[in-house]
Amino acid sequence: MSFRIGDVAAQTGLSVDTLRYYEKIRLLPPVARNASGIREYGKHDLSRLKFIQRSQKMGFSLAEISELLEFRKSPQDSKPQVRSMAQQKLLLIEERLSELQRLHDELTLLGNLCRENQTDCPILGELDGGEN
Amino acid sequence: MPNQQYSSPKMLIELLTASGCGACRAVEQTIGHVIDTLTELDLQIIRVDVVEEIDYAVSLGVRRAPAIALNGKLAFSLPPTEQQLREAILQLHGEQT
Repeated sequence: MSFRIGDVAAQTGLSVDTLRYYEKIRLLPPVARNASGIREYGKHDLSRLKFIQRSQKMGFSLAEISELLEFRKSPQDSKPQVRSMAQQKLLLIEERLSELQRLHDELTLLGNLCRENQTDCPILGELDGGEN
Repeated sequence: MPNQQYSSPKMLIELLTASGCGACRAVEQTIGHVIDTLTELDLQIIRVDVVEEIDYAVSLGVRRAPAIALNGKLAFSLPPTEQQLREAILQLHGEQT
């Protein structure tokens, strides 16, 4: 199954200009084209784009993402420094996961208290630094 | 006072509460009844407001109030019956001695 650039833009939330740019800077390998010269993206292209988006949300630069993509494509053949960079990013992600989990747990507690509280809402109190 | 003066080690019961928590009073009564029946044990009850001590509450695993921790570990995340609480305390006491 293949997708046109407009479909991919809709699925990923990326603009068509961005998609073309990623191809230009080789973040995305040259996309297959049909006989009319229209790009036809495959599932691997989509998978790669989603990986790029996730990495960007983590704050990785395009240069770092490019290296991670090489690692992703061929982990056994990757250079030691790329493996090391990937490992560092993994540690960073684990830290963020831990922080997110903490935030999730805290908001879960506050949300449950709010639902069960007849008068004051603890969430507002917590957001006010306990001054409410 | 030193632990040697007691026949059993001190056990800490933390009642994790919140303002406006309707079920908290009932759980407090449950704890009170259980403590009254376990006079041979050295039981200490502390009330912890989960909003004021939110970091501690979350680290214990508390997700709603009331909750009960025994010796620093979450034992009940829902109100227990008197029997359930008594059994939990006695089991922990058995593990301590």
